[in-house]
Amino acid sequence: MTPQNLLVLPLSTPKLSIGCPILDGCLGGGIPCNSITELVGESGSGKTQVCLQLTVRAQLPPSHGGLGGSSLYIHTEFSFPLRRLQQLANHYQASHANLIGLNPLEDIYVHAVHDAQQMVHVLRDIETFMGIGHTRLPVKLIVIDSIAALFGSQYNRTPADLKCRSEMFFKISGKLKALANKFGVAVVLTNQVVDVIGPADGIDGVRLGNLECLHTSARRVSPALGLAWAHCVNSRVFLSRHEESVGVNSPYAHSTSISSQTQRRLHVVFSPHLAPASAQFVITKEGQNLGRSARHQYLHPISLLVNLMMKTRRAIRRSCIETLNDKEDKKWPPFMHLFDHNSPSNISR
Amino acid sequence: MEVGRLPISASQRGKLISAGYTTLASLSSLSPSDLARDLKIRESEALEILKVASHDCRLDQPEKSNGIFTGAQTAWEMLHEEQSFPRITTSCADLDNILGGGINCKEVTEIGGVPGIGKTQLGIQLAVNVQIPVDFGGLGGKAVYIDTEGSFMVERALQIAEASVVDMSHYNELLRKELRTCQVEIQPTDILKNIFYFRICSYTEQIALINHLDKFILEHKDVKIVIIDSVTFHFRQDFEDLALRTRLLGGMALKLMNLANKYNLAVVIFNQVTTKHKEGSFQLSLALGDSWSHCSTNRVILYWNGDERNAHIDKSPSLKSASAPFSVTRKGIRNSASNHKRIKLM
Repeated sequence: MTPQNLLVLPLSTPKLSIGCPILDGCLGGGIPCNSITELVGESGSGKTQVCLQLTVRAQLPPSHGGLGGSSLYIHTEFSFPLRRLQQLANHYQASHANLIGLNPLEDIYVHAVHDAQQMVHVLRDIETFMGIGHTRLPVKLIVIDSIAALFGSQYNRTPADLKCRSEMFFKISGKLKALANKFGVAVVLTNQVVDVIGPADGIDGVRLGNLECLHTSARRVSPALGLAWAHCVNSRVFLSRHEESVGVNSPYAHSTSISSQTQRRLHVVFSPHLAPASAQFVITKEGQNLGRSARHQYLHPISLLVNLMMKTRRAIRRSCIETLNDKEDKKWPPFMHLFDHNSPSNISR
Repeated sequence: MEVGRLPISASQRGKLISAGYTTLASLSSLSPSDLARDLKIRESEALEILKVASHDCRLDQPEKSNGIFTGAQTAWEMLHEEQSFPRITTSCADLDNILGGGINCKEVTEIGGVPGIGKTQLGIQLAVNVQIPVDFGGLGGKAVYIDTEGSFMVERALQIAEASVVDMSHYNELLRKELRTCQVEIQPTDILKNIFYFRICSYTEQIALINHLDKFILEHKDVKIVIIDSVTFHFRQDFEDLALRTRLLGGMALKLMNLANKYNLAVVIFNQVTTKHKEGSFQLSLALGDSWSHCSTNRVILYWNGDERNAHIDKSPSLKSASAPFSVTRKGIRNSASNHKRIKLM
């Protein structure tokens, strides 16, 4: 056994850029390879959106913030949000024509997994799959959306079952970390949140990381799967959302109405290489997550535009659905097509 | 002149020589009161000189040990040896204080805490700090870093190393204004070069590496710290036979203790926390069970106290149970910021 020479390794781990300079700044350049990054958030906070964007961006060459690789997407709940991915892929195809393959969807391998035991088997298959290397581009990103759903129903809350469950956490995480290390891939997992009820001293009230407690939609939440799982990831990123009611007199809406504005925010909860940081972001049709940093209140010019238009979100939701059917596509400026209303995370609510 | 080599003040040295004590042998049979009378100094001062002299004497003649069998030492000798050896600073003065000056060599220190509390940060900081040259009060050693979780980030290590180099040159300016020639020659990349980094992906690998360490350190005698971040990770996945797990862990701990003793190095083990059902409520405790808790010399628990990170000495044969705040900054582990504020206000 010989030690690795730290100077031979790149002094900065290769990173997969999210595609927004401010969010990338929070994450020290993006999602790091050889490590597990967890995105925690309530449904509709944008976890799946970030993951989908990463699968497309991973195909960009390293000079453009990508990893020059294909991605594996393991989904455990709902159906795979294909249409949204297609939308993103088309956008990237148009804007990065000579940097990305003709059909970005060809380099995204999708697999459905429904329970933890199956996950362990699939991970074994993935190792052989990646070892053979028959893919056009080497696999550089593994996404599991979401990890919490794997443990949804199988395990009861008896001590014996909980013990089995946490052993399974370490088994899956150990496999993923071994894969990440062996092939130099970035691993991104999503996790759900559970509500925290009662005073802060319960076991769910244990403080992990930079934030005293996590708030989303005015609720106090904590990441699902508990303390044992928190030991299994290298970095944890929390996505929060807050609805704000705003009265708008929108030229697009038929009358003055109370509509709501969604504020999304990304927080670094803990990470071996990152300082505490948070930034606001929005989700657009193009999937660009334009954010503004919390500290400097720096407003990206395009983000400003989007934020102003965000106010009419509720009002135009109906139109959005139609937009997806390409009926009124030309009526709206490009930034107006906000969140895919039919995306899986919205169905759950 | 043997007395000239003793690490004592110049005036003491002058008095010794003028009183006719030039060899270590001439000092060996003296009582402190005799020496105090001859040199016209206080008895406590004389005792200090004799201590230093006897220590030097022993270093000169290691074969002349007064142990019962070879390798045995008296407690007196061990005390001297311990005092002569610097500790590895954590870069946080409060934390060093409760640790009695830093992480001690020849001991196994276990550090545990919730995710995000700063375990890996402390590990990287120690791997950097062990390399502080002897001139700066450090050990000038190298580090073995065993990473089982994949949390060691080279960029973060480089950041901490850079901050440490900057701190050393500040220290240099403060203390040696007259000696401009003594520059910090150490580079951040040199610090990275002196961290032997092992990435472990299964518990079998982990055990194999610990077994191999003896040989590795024999070849790299200047390794002064072994860091395992974390010992727990691979031992928490399906072990059906818990007795086997306990045996494996026990064996590993024994090997680490032997290493610490044999090569006079510090072993720092990081552990995770788990919840334990105790008296009707859930409490946080370090993972791996009760038998494991006997495997380390010192046990430090890191926890959140409101908005502040704290370290608590949970178990130690020589340190009193105490807590101290610390913070994780861009530069690495440092004193807690709120502490600074309090001082400023006062």
